[in-house]
Amino acid sequence: MTILYDEGQQAIATETRRALEARVSMEELLPLLENSGEYHEPFWTLAKEQGWTALTLPEAHGGLALGLIELGLVAHQAGRTMSGAPFLTSGFGAAKAIALYGSDAQKARWLPGLASGETIGAIAFAGGPDILPSRPDATFADGRLGGLSRGVTGGLKADVAIVLAADAAGTPALLLADLAPVRRTAVASFDNSRCIADLHFETTAAETLLIGTEARDAALHILALQAVVTAHEQTGGAEMLMEIARDYAVTRKAFGQPIGAFQSVKHRIAELYGLVELARANCIHAAAREGQADFLKAAAAARLSASEAYDTAARDCIQIHGGIGVTWDIGLHLHMRRARSLAIEQGSGLFWEDVLVDQLAEETA
Amino acid sequence: MSDLEAYRARAAAWLESMAPIYGRSARQGLSEADDLALGRRYQRAKFDAGYAGINWPTDLGGQGLGHIEKIAFDAEEMKHGFPNFYFGISLGMPVPVLMQFGTDRDFVKERVLKALKGEEIWCQLFSEPSGGSDLAALRTRAEVDGNGWKINGQKVWTSWAHYSDYGVIVVRTDPAVPKHKGLTYFWVDMKAPGVTVRPIKLAGGDSHVNEVFFDDVKIGDDQRMSPVGGGFAVAIATLMIERYVATDSAGFGPHLGHFIRLAKETHRDGRPAIEDGRIRAQIARNYAMRSGLDSINHRARLMMQAGMMPGPEGSLNKLVAVRSRQKLSELALDLQGSDGFAFDAHASQKEDWASSWINAPTGRIAGGSDETLLNTIAEKILGLPQDHRPDKGIPFNQIPA
Repeated sequence: MTILYDEGQQAIATETRRALEARVSMEELLPLLENSGEYHEPFWTLAKEQGWTALTLPEAHGGLALGLIELGLVAHQAGRTMSGAPFLTSGFGAAKAIALYGSDAQKARWLPGLASGETIGAIAFAGGPDILPSRPDATFADGRLGGLSRGVTGGLKADVAIVLAADAAGTPALLLADLAPVRRTAVASFDNSRCIADLHFETTAAETLLIGTEARDAALHILALQAVVTAHEQTGGAEMLMEIARDYAVTRKAFGQPIGAFQSVKHRIAELYGLVELARANCIHAAAREGQADFLKAAAAARLSASEAYDTAARDCIQIHGGIGVTWDIGLHLHMRRARSLAIEQGSGLFWEDVLVDQLAEETA
Repeated sequence: MSDLEAYRARAAAWLESMAPIYGRSARQGLSEADDLALGRRYQRAKFDAGYAGINWPTDLGGQGLGHIEKIAFDAEEMKHGFPNFYFGISLGMPVPVLMQFGTDRDFVKERVLKALKGEEIWCQLFSEPSGGSDLAALRTRAEVDGNGWKINGQKVWTSWAHYSDYGVIVVRTDPAVPKHKGLTYFWVDMKAPGVTVRPIKLAGGDSHVNEVFFDDVKIGDDQRMSPVGGGFAVAIATLMIERYVATDSAGFGPHLGHFIRLAKETHRDGRPAIEDGRIRAQIARNYAMRSGLDSINHRARLMMQAGMMPGPEGSLNKLVAVRSRQKLSELALDLQGSDGFAFDAHASQKEDWASSWINAPTGRIAGGSDETLLNTIAEKILGLPQDHRPDKGIPFNQIPA
């Protein structure tokens, strides 16, 4: 079931918003679009200073031992201003995988750096249309990774990755790989600050976390955890766009009245309100269900409704602005780009629809 | 177990015990008259068991509990298909507004008790041919007649008027002032001379709504429930009474589980429909939407329990749920192909896809049309401007017809 945020959680949201609005601006994010391989340093510095990187990690390894609810609140605010780097979510996924499935030595080696943010983590499960293919492209034999992981978010800057690979028999393995020796090629993307890269494994040393169906189940769980964080970020972005659309509709006049007085415009914005609130409700619920049997369903629902909210808000907010909406400088295309990159990371809607329906069909007699 | 959970468990157990006598199976094949008679007995059983007027004051026969207990009870009650809808409007709006605004307290108490026991039913005479969403455009008029008033005109879409003993009504008492300012609120005796009720048959074949005609219907000034010219405020108060009601994320149509079962059982060219991507996408999207509403409603209950006012997002319930129910019902019929032709006009909208589909438009219009709800969200929550209203500030009798 869902929850009401307590005072501490509300304070996290307020403080995060204040900090982000002071340090991140659209003017600084725009030029990054035309520079492949760069991210917004002030955003990441802020994330480290504020301890957002440490939020969900165990205290023994430099973490704050909070949960998805708190990280979700930060991600929601980051979605409003747009995060300048993907590492909060990618690092969270890598750190969670190590915390859940790693050895004590692996935890000691990697978690303190991931908690402080000095180490950047990434998730490299698969590329292309299948986020969790039955047979991954990357290969694993004798402790060495081979092959390619395509389109890894944060992959260009990451120090460590959790990789899903197949051994000679096709059995999946969840692996931990130090990326220092790994060659990366940047993907020139429509949303360049995501630092997306192809990872070329050439007999790269990797350590096994899990093998077989357990590896695949664990990979799905990591994706679900990340998906809930991303859903909060998407909801924040959608909420921001709804507010921008509303503010524009009450000030811009045409035919002698604010355009927000025309039902074609005001209903469009009211529909956005509905999408944002459904996504928010699903996010709060999903974050509160971590560790419960229905977590996967809750994560999928949050993911689907948040993607729909952000994509629709991007589409409609630009439409409501008319010509000014499609200019470079007004920056609405930043949200439109981010809506799509977040919709694809951790598996697109097609993937999550399948995950959800498989769950529902299984439990319906 | 919290007090509320304990209350809910007790209510669930009681309802479970009533189901064989008054529930879905007991009602099968009954004529409407017999079903109404059964409904009156069920309402009386609720009263005797302390489940009528749950959140109403004890001195008027209620239980003196909160909204939250009422909603908990209603959510449990919804599961069994009891014949309670005859009293839904009556106890939902007119009787509470009588409790709040009725001046003769002995009369009020007598009416409230009879309504709670299912002996009397009240209707709400608001909409007219010339004004549904635009309530203040109504034309039924009351003129001073001796010490009282005389009503002439017509109401429409009045639920259960044909079974009602009394009604609350908004009428125009002054056509020379702007439309909202010339209205007054009364209660009327539905059996009084000059009141004619004509059922309207709806698209699905059902006829629980009526036209109600008033021809020189004489009423006393003691039946007035608002200041003269102050009727619009009481009308709005009436509509606000049941703001936090038990809701249903299925839009009062079939549960999503019914659709999933249908998709598993239906085969197209040897393949179960649940493997069809188009069907899967709709299941997933509907689940995400409904779970969002469930979460909104659960959070509203948590806020009420904590003594807080629930957020405005509760206003999304009907808008989102009924619209999607309509589309899912169409898809369920598509899925069945020619097997979907079979139609039973009396089948339950909560269990039968054709019944859900054909009655869905009523759900999108009654109790605030989709468009009105979107306007309310836009104006009241988001602060967007009102629509252009050419009749604003103009005396009613000077508005071009």
